[in-house]
Amino acid sequence: MGSSSKKYKEKETRKRRHRSPSRTYEEEYYEASKEKRHKHKKHHHHHKEKRKEKNQRQEYESDSSDVVEVITDDSQSAAPPKSSNRSPEASSQSVESLSIQETNKLRAKLGLKPLDVGNSSTSSASGRSQDDGKKKDDLGEFYHKPAENLQAKAQQEKVKAKLAEIREKRQLHNKYGKVKTLGEEDSNDDVEAWINKNRKIDEAKREAEKRAKMLEELDAQFGIGEVVESEKREKMRQKYTERDLRGLTVEHDLDTFREESTVVLTLKDSGVLDEDEDVLVNVNMLDDERYKKSVENKKKKILYNAYEDNEFDEFGNPKEKSLLSQYDEEIDGVKRDSFKIGYNNVVERKSVIHSVKEKLAKKKIESVAGIQLKLASEYYNEEELTKFKKPKKKVRKIRSKGKLLTADELEEQPQNTGIEAIGSRRPKYKNDPDLTIDDVPSVDIPTDLKLEEDKDDLLEKALHKTRKMKQKENIIENIIKPEIKSETEEENIDSGNIILNATAEFCRTLGDIPTYGKAGNREETEELIDYEKDIIPDENSDDDCEIIEPTGWNSVDPTNQGIDSTQIPPQEVQILDEEPDVSTGVGAALKLAMSKGYLDKEQNNRPSNSRLAHLQAKHYSIEDKSYGEEGDRQNRRERYSGPITDFKEKDGFKPNVKLEYIDDEGHILNSKEAFRYLSHKFHGKGPGKNKVEKRIKKSVQEQLMKKMSSTDTPLGTLNMLQAKQKETQSPFVVLSGSKQSQSTALSKSRR
Amino acid sequence: MIEITCNDRLGKKVRVKCNPDDTVGDLKKLIAAQTGTRWDKIVLKKWYTTFKDHIQLQDCILFQTLNITRRRHKIRYEIHDGMNIELYYQ
Repeated sequence: MGSSSKKYKEKETRKRRHRSPSRTYEEEYYEASKEKRHKHKKHHHHHKEKRKEKNQRQEYESDSSDVVEVITDDSQSAAPPKSSNRSPEASSQSVESLSIQETNKLRAKLGLKPLDVGNSSTSSASGRSQDDGKKKDDLGEFYHKPAENLQAKAQQEKVKAKLAEIREKRQLHNKYGKVKTLGEEDSNDDVEAWINKNRKIDEAKREAEKRAKMLEELDAQFGIGEVVESEKREKMRQKYTERDLRGLTVEHDLDTFREESTVVLTLKDSGVLDEDEDVLVNVNMLDDERYKKSVENKKKKILYNAYEDNEFDEFGNPKEKSLLSQYDEEIDGVKRDSFKIGYNNVVERKSVIHSVKEKLAKKKIESVAGIQLKLASEYYNEEELTKFKKPKKKVRKIRSKGKLLTADELEEQPQNTGIEAIGSRRPKYKNDPDLTIDDVPSVDIPTDLKLEEDKDDLLEKALHKTRKMKQKENIIENIIKPEIKSETEEENIDSGNIILNATAEFCRTLGDIPTYGKAGNREETEELIDYEKDIIPDENSDDDCEIIEPTGWNSVDPTNQGIDSTQIPPQEVQILDEEPDVSTGVGAALKLAMSKGYLDKEQNNRPSNSRLAHLQAKHYSIEDKSYGEEGDRQNRRERYSGPITDFKEKDGFKPNVKLEYIDDEGHILNSKEAFRYLSHKFHGKGPGKNKVEKRIKKSVQEQLMKKMSSTDTPLGTLNMLQAKQKETQSPFVVLSGSKQSQSTALSKSRR
Repeated sequence: MIEITCNDRLGKKVRVKCNPDDTVGDLKKLIAAQTGTRWDKIVLKKWYTTFKDHIQLQDCILFQTLNITRRRHKIRYEIHDGMNIELYYQ
């Protein structure tokens, strides 16, 4: 530490103030040790140094407080203030610590109060907190209620319990202290005393008897005997009777006692110190009850009742169920049925009353007067209607056979029948089951469709039949034939439906083909057909309906087949329309042309609005929707009739607009071509040369196609063949290879 | 009585017994007596809190801010038994 160089010393002295204090401390330490033993040379230097230091310290003393003095004192006093108990955990550094005594001494010098050793820091802290009785919050804002001392509380309780026990003991002692126990009573252990005692008793008895005899004699003398006897009888009567049993509790169910059977009841065992009243029991019955209970336990009842079925007591009232009732016994103890002797009737009556009361309590009171009687209506009123939810209609499955009917076709169906009716005035031939065609004569627009497989043909037919019968009934209301009635009534199809099977469909399309171009015709004929339909059944109502039914398609009941066939001679079936005879006149020829599609009616040419009117929405009108309510709108319309108003005078006007585009060559363009054409025009840039050529070529080809004969190949082979046949006068042509001879000629005939 | 350890990290480490109701100044005097320094040259610190002379030890509240998960937590301490105080010199 201390360097030997003088230079250094000087520095030291100069910079004393600024040097680390450890220095001074160690110097002191060395100094102290030096005084005892002089070992090193170094110490000399130290000594010198120390002296200097001392001088300096004197300086300190002059200006500083007594603290410094204390330090000097400390250093001077050999009693080591640095009696350093080096803490074992202190690694390399030495930990200086004074003992309590030393510190106290030091504190006294410093003018501080001594350390409070006895009560440790914690106790002192607690004492401080107890000063004001309250404890402040960490932030010093709130006072906390002091926590209660749990230990003290527990102790108090303990003491209290002990006191109570002692008190009870004393009470019991007071109560039973005078009663002598059996053991105590036999205090006379020696035989002599016992004998003496017995003798005394005996003598006393004898004396008493004597006295009694004497008294009796006296009584007899004075006639008092009778009186005494009557008294005795009185006493006998006062014996223990039913009346005395009144009010005693019997701990058994009343029902367990059978009538006219004797049951011996005993007092129930109870604690000697119990203050409860006496209870009567029968031991056997107790056993029975125990047995019952054990059986019940063995059954292992399922505690959980999923459906919450209410249990009923014997009067039919639902039992009040408490939560987790299975534990009631364990919590409250076993409930035992009991009754009181003498109160039997009361008990029963009470239970009945109780049951009635319960019933009343559980029932809601419903006033009879409140409900007004009403006639039950067969129909729902509006409110009920809104409540009534319609069951959803099941969507009928359509087993389609590939072809779906379009709306147009549906519309045409009734018309078809009509036409066929025109075509075949004669009653139809009904023998062929494959060709039987059924249709609905009713004018209703069919809503549902059903396509059926061929498999259940027979059933189908039967169903058709019945259905048709039903429809006839509708049309001809008055006539109900017994024959019809007798027929099987398997009605499960709505009369509005059309049932199509594959055959029927096939036939229908066959019938359609020739009339296809004639669609426009039908509107005119429709009315007529309907009219006929209505009339004809009336005319022929007396006859068999089936035969004279004028509707287009009929079905034949296979069962009835024989009868029908006998009545009507079989005829050829006409599938196609009868072709009008052209020879009759121009009209017929025109008709034929029209039916063949050679000639179109002018009406057909344009897609007229009136023709498609039935497809348009019925209740749709274009109006300005920005207007408010209906009435409001009308008012406004009256006030202000702007450009939105309808033209009243043009009400019936339905413009028939057809947009056509024609190109430079005069061809009618379809929409695609038209677009292209317009586009080219708009952009001022036409197609390339190749494209144009291609298009021209295509159009030429199209022309050729149109001109092409439909009966022959483009090369005219058929014509050539025919010419050849004519030439050879043979129905065949020989195709021969150049190499092969005639023997391998093949013949080809034309059918 | 509590015992406080004071350590400047230059080789001096003293354990001082004192009362909790001593002031910091008293503590400084005690430390000075044990270490042999002038008490008014002593600065007692814990982290960045410098204890002032006129405050009792039991009232010394030092706020310690810790940067745990980037939030500053202020933890309060009193000077308690066995606490380590940093010893500096003016």
